[in-house]
Amino acid sequence: MKPDEFEKQLQRQPLRAVPDHWRAEILREAKASVAADVRRRTDEAHAAAQPIRLLTSAGTTQAWWREWLWPSPQAWAGLAVVWLIILALNMTGSSRSSSDMAKQATPVPVDAGLSTQRRELARLLDKDNFSEPVPVPKPAPTGPRSEGLSPSKV
Amino acid sequence: MPPSPDLERLYDEHAGAIFAFLLNVTRNEADTRDVLQEVFIKLARQPKLLSGVREERAFLMRLSHNAAIDLMRRRGTRERNHEQLAVESTGVFAPSTDPDEQAFREASTLALGELPPDQRVMVHLKLWEGLTFEAIAGVLEIPLNTAASRYRYGLDKLRERLRPLYEEIK
Repeated sequence: MKPDEFEKQLQRQPLRAVPDHWRAEILREAKASVAADVRRRTDEAHAAAQPIRLLTSAGTTQAWWREWLWPSPQAWAGLAVVWLIILALNMTGSSRSSSDMAKQATPVPVDAGLSTQRRELARLLDKDNFSEPVPVPKPAPTGPRSEGLSPSKV
Repeated sequence: MPPSPDLERLYDEHAGAIFAFLLNVTRNEADTRDVLQEVFIKLARQPKLLSGVREERAFLMRLSHNAAIDLMRRRGTRERNHEQLAVESTGVFAPSTDPDEQAFREASTLALGELPPDQRVMVHLKLWEGLTFEAIAGVLEIPLNTAASRYRYGLDKLRERLRPLYEEIK
């Protein structure tokens, strides 16, 4: 589409020029904004490294906790409650199981060992008063087992 | 961090055109200054913005147009009152020593101010930037047909408004 005479007339009108003094101002502002960005990023990086060092004083500790909990204190509180419930359940379960074990335990070998120890202790303390029955050994067979058999069974 | 763009070169090559475009869009020198500065701050802060861009001028026009629209939305009602805008509008043409030419330029400034902003932007980019409809459609992110029809409507209004004066100086 070729421009008509009216369009050409409009095109011939020179537009206003940008004021000369804007150049230095705008370029200075643009560069200053970049420098400010770099400074801000450095400050943020510095601030991010701070909390560990700041734990020494009470005020800064509070600030650190606030910052730590700030995004969602309710979520943190909920998490703490869940952990407490888990801990309580865990403790209840372990005490119950230990008492059950105590009830079920006392096996025979332990009893035997205990009685041996008690006997040994009594023997050491007072040999005379020791009254625990001594197990009687079985009499050993005196002859061959075939002697005890009746002639009808042979 | 990538190297910062050559702001001085960009300014020297494009600031004049961006200034005239923004002045025509905002009709206010202070707003034009603000938007121009915003564009250059953006270029300085985001060095990758121009990487891979083939048509710097068209890209910068698009950036400027978007920044101007944002500013006008923030500022509120000015854009809506076209008549008031035309009265207040800043001269977009260089002053002339020839009285007839000066009269035509002042009348053209007022006539442009009376156009709806989207038609004014189209007329500016076509007449004074020499962009094709296709390029303008890309800058303004509108369909090609819309760009062409907006230009046609805007030019017809200007022609009607400026006809008496144009016939005089022709």
